[in-house]
Amino acid sequence: MTTALQQAGDMRQPLGTPAALLMRGIGKSFDGKAALRDASFCLEWGEVHAIVGENGAGKSTLMNVAAGVYVADGGDQSIDGEAISLRSPLEAAAAGLGMVHQHFRLVESFTVAENVLLGFGRKAAVKTLTDAAAIVSAKSSEIGLPVDPHKLVANLSIAERQRAEIIKVMLLGARILVMDEPTAVLTDEEARTLLSFAQRLSRQGHAVVLITHKFREVAAFCDRVTIMRHGETVLEGARVANVTEAEVARLMVGDALTVAGRPLSRPGDVCLSVERLSARATAHGQSLNDLGFELHVGEILGIAGVGGNGQEELVACLLGLDRAGAGAIVLDGQDISTAKPDQRREAGLRVIPSDRFDSGLIRELSIADNLALTTVASGSFGGPFLLSRRAMREKAAEAIDAFDIRGATPERPASLLSGGNAQKVLLARELDHGLKVLIAHSPSRGLDMKAAEFVRSAIRRAVEAGAACLLISEDLQEVMSLSHRVAVMNRGRIAGCRQTGDVTPEWIGGLLAGHA
Amino acid sequence: MLDTAFLVRRQNPGFLLTSLSYVGGLLVGLTVSAVLLVHAGVPASALVDEFLIATFLTSDGLSQTATAALPLVLVGLASGVAMRVRFWNIGVEGQLWLGAIASTWVALNGSGPEVLRLPTMFVLAALAGAAWIAIPLFLKLKWGVNEVISTLLLGSVAFLLVQHLLFGVWRDPSNSFPVTATFPEASWFLVLGWGQLHAGIFLVAVIALSIWFVMEHSRVGFYADAVGFNAKAALATGLPVLSIAVGLVLLSGALSGVAGMMIVAGTEHRLNQSVGNGYLFSAIVIAYLARAKPLWVVVISFALGAVFTAGNVLKVFYSISEAMIVLMQGAVLMSILMAQFFSSYSLKRPKN
Amino acid sequence: MDFLIGWIAIIPSYAAPLLLASLGLIICERAGVLNLGAEGLMAISALTGAMTVLSGADPWVGLAAGSAAAMALALLFGISTVALRANHTLAGLAVVAIGLGITGVVGRPYVQKTFSGISTLGDLFGIDRGSAFGRIFAVQDPVTLALPTLVGALWWWLSKSRHGLRLRSVGENPAAADVAGIDVQLVQFGAVLASGLFCGLAGAYLSVATSHVWVEGMVASRGWIAVALVIFSRWNAARALWGALLFGSADALVPRLQAIGADVPVYLMMTLPYLLTLVVLVAGSLGGRRSGEPAFLGRVYLRQDKQ
Repeated sequence: MTTALQQAGDMRQPLGTPAALLMRGIGKSFDGKAALRDASFCLEWGEVHAIVGENGAGKSTLMNVAAGVYVADGGDQSIDGEAISLRSPLEAAAAGLGMVHQHFRLVESFTVAENVLLGFGRKAAVKTLTDAAAIVSAKSSEIGLPVDPHKLVANLSIAERQRAEIIKVMLLGARILVMDEPTAVLTDEEARTLLSFAQRLSRQGHAVVLITHKFREVAAFCDRVTIMRHGETVLEGARVANVTEAEVARLMVGDALTVAGRPLSRPGDVCLSVERLSARATAHGQSLNDLGFELHVGEILGIAGVGGNGQEELVACLLGLDRAGAGAIVLDGQDISTAKPDQRREAGLRVIPSDRFDSGLIRELSIADNLALTTVASGSFGGPFLLSRRAMREKAAEAIDAFDIRGATPERPASLLSGGNAQKVLLARELDHGLKVLIAHSPSRGLDMKAAEFVRSAIRRAVEAGAACLLISEDLQEVMSLSHRVAVMNRGRIAGCRQTGDVTPEWIGGLLAGHA
Repeated sequence: MLDTAFLVRRQNPGFLLTSLSYVGGLLVGLTVSAVLLVHAGVPASALVDEFLIATFLTSDGLSQTATAALPLVLVGLASGVAMRVRFWNIGVEGQLWLGAIASTWVALNGSGPEVLRLPTMFVLAALAGAAWIAIPLFLKLKWGVNEVISTLLLGSVAFLLVQHLLFGVWRDPSNSFPVTATFPEASWFLVLGWGQLHAGIFLVAVIALSIWFVMEHSRVGFYADAVGFNAKAALATGLPVLSIAVGLVLLSGALSGVAGMMIVAGTEHRLNQSVGNGYLFSAIVIAYLARAKPLWVVVISFALGAVFTAGNVLKVFYSISEAMIVLMQGAVLMSILMAQFFSSYSLKRPKN
Repeated sequence: MDFLIGWIAIIPSYAAPLLLASLGLIICERAGVLNLGAEGLMAISALTGAMTVLSGADPWVGLAAGSAAAMALALLFGISTVALRANHTLAGLAVVAIGLGITGVVGRPYVQKTFSGISTLGDLFGIDRGSAFGRIFAVQDPVTLALPTLVGALWWWLSKSRHGLRLRSVGENPAAADVAGIDVQLVQFGAVLASGLFCGLAGAYLSVATSHVWVEGMVASRGWIAVALVIFSRWNAARALWGALLFGSADALVPRLQAIGADVPVYLMMTLPYLLTLVVLVAGSLGGRRSGEPAFLGRVYLRQDKQ
């Protein structure tokens, strides 16, 4: 298929200079599950090369193979024309390839300079902290990414940490820079700064790989694009000028998608009102200051903003996991701000947490157990004393059918489900008839497009049926397409709120300035 | 080193692989133990005799094994119920000592009708054990103090308390050893006339069955697993996390306390310095080997009871120290822990 | 005054084993391996030290032999936790059982046999015991004398040197250490063996330098107190010195009171160090999170895990 595009992906074999990074026929499986099958990739010097694909398509796995973190099961790799077989990240660094992972490889209790010193091997020229700090400062001003070498990493913002990581990788001699979804944690402004840095770097002769799923970034900052799907390369190295967003989307997903819109329901009476809410920050978090909003029946209120600006704390306060320092939470006229989590559930509060295996599902328990967690207390499975596992299994079998949960039987542990199917288990449990207010925190994070679409339409249907939903998401597109109103969260407060139709990028950008 | 590049966690090791590595580890541990015994002077030919025939297949031996197993079942359950909510109760010995102290106090100062003597001892022993574990529990909940250390140290404190009493007010002046006077018979469990076996076996049976029911067939056990695996998710789904954790940990202490009562009222009929010896590691090993499942706790306690019985014989005939049992427990625990590697991880090298 | 001087004089010998063991545990835990086996490591070295000296060897050889024995047991702990990724808590408890078990089985013939231990400074340099100063210093030995220097050196090594930086990175963020080319498992193995060495010195010191005799159970939970001291000291060698002195003082109080014939409830007094440990654990955790705890302590690092 896609012959025109395949031709656009010109397989230009190097005429004079060898490719910066060449990967052919790479396979990699984890515990019997294939993550890469026959994937290939070709990176030239002097370009910014985007790798796009859905979650689970194998983008990060492929680059982790390139960076020596994973050892491929098979395939060939070469850097600058020399065949290599990497066994560790150090070997990749020695060959000139450095990777900025999504979770930075920085020791939080060390300063930036200490982290850089750590990176230099035993025999390197840089031996003291003073030297390390000096070269950090020098590199920092050279590449135009400011960082204070003496600051503890724990005290840096996400954007600063990212800069520190880039400087570290560059100092260790990277001529090929791989960045894994670097803009996911940044505001648009910060992302632009970073991406133009990447462009500058490539113009100086380096090679940059950018893993992303935002086509805007590909179009504006990248030279070529490689698309992956299900562990395979479906389009290799096409010039960005020769492809369109629609084509890229189709290649990523495999078939066309209908995009869910806003619920058809009209917002009614207020059913959740939060006033002057304040709460302490959790570890690495942001405290809530005087936060307030109102949510109406039949409405989706989207809360946009960069992660780490109090979203986790807000969810914890609403759920009753953390006691709010001050403020009122009123659900259907009933003040629940001092109620326990089970009382809040009884009042109709439900949640889809951002990390489903952190505070939603229990990995080790079976799917039937996970589905029964919230209802056992009501005595629906065998009365107050006896617990009927059979009743639980039967109920679970129904839910598995109703929500089309693939790869599931009631007895299987939840840990074996894929992200999308685990999210369906959560939906099956949370979207029950008692639902009044749903708090959905990044409900489609880490899901492929189909699963994400399933989740979004399930939420939409629930709202149309009379529930209300607080949609907290870093995915602005998701917020814009689903919400009736959009609020922006910054530094632990609601910085502004508008009808979706009135939202402009400038308005959001202004409210996000100076985020945590 | 150590193939860091190729090691992967198994997502679903499956029943067969898990059992194989468990049984393999157990066999290695038992083999090591056998070698140690032979090395210490027990003829290899006598091992089967001492550990299997003389403990299970003779009437005398079986009654001894059953008697020895009674407190073991209790401490195993104690360690197990706490383990289910991820509370490391390493201070089983301490709670057992407190239970023994409480029941000794009742027995020595016996007042009230004699029929109520044993029930009073039972209740007070349970309360004393629960009170003793309440301290580390409170310290953990309030200030996050690591319970491994606090429960263990309180075990040492409890033993010193016992010594304080045995060398002080409770010492039987007519005895050259630091022991209390023998209890009046109203404080003894009825001896059933089969070896040393006493009526405590009925109490243990009732307790074990109740705990099996509560942990396997009521919502308590269901909640406990949720809390133990992921307390945050349990809280978020509205489960009574605190009550479950507090309840089971206090139950753990109470069970250990009753074990203390079981020993002084069942076999020793007095308090002495060796009542609580050897239960610390026994409790952990039983609970770990039984994967904290009540019925398995009973099975493994009987096996360990046999080891205790055999140990008494070996002590007399081959002058082998009681520490041998601790060593064997350590060896078995360590080898099963190590064997688990083979079911939890897989090593896959690329073909080239 | 007499009582006070006598008390102060013996505090270092009570503090030394606690301090040595804590230092070993700090190294180990800074590399991310939670080591609860100190009690077993100390037990096996106390016996080995005594056996060596009883067989006619020099007390210093006894110390070395004790450390070697503890290192052998630490090697087993390392194989289980570092190589085979066993649960650190349970493996530590297994080490305690094995250590206590072996000493009980092997040690029988050596119980209560006294021997001459390490010479004191008084013997070595003929310090005049006339003054208070002389009385305090005459009973010290080269080990207690060397300890402050050792603490300083270790503190510097851990917090200031590049090797210390590398060791700490393994306990904080092994993925970062791995990227930096540090062999995570190798460093952890080294740290576990170091804890064996130090806990071994601590245990052997108990029999060879302090008691000059071996009895079963002589470690008497000092290994566990050392584990608690590590938390109290916030994984900082310098703070461990003060903690050990505090515990040493409490521990040394009972024998001093007994020596002057004071009528005190001995066994109740002996609970003092344990209760003090609990108090100190609470104090250590006041003021929010347990500061200084290595972020990856007790967890299993696999390069191929999803991060």
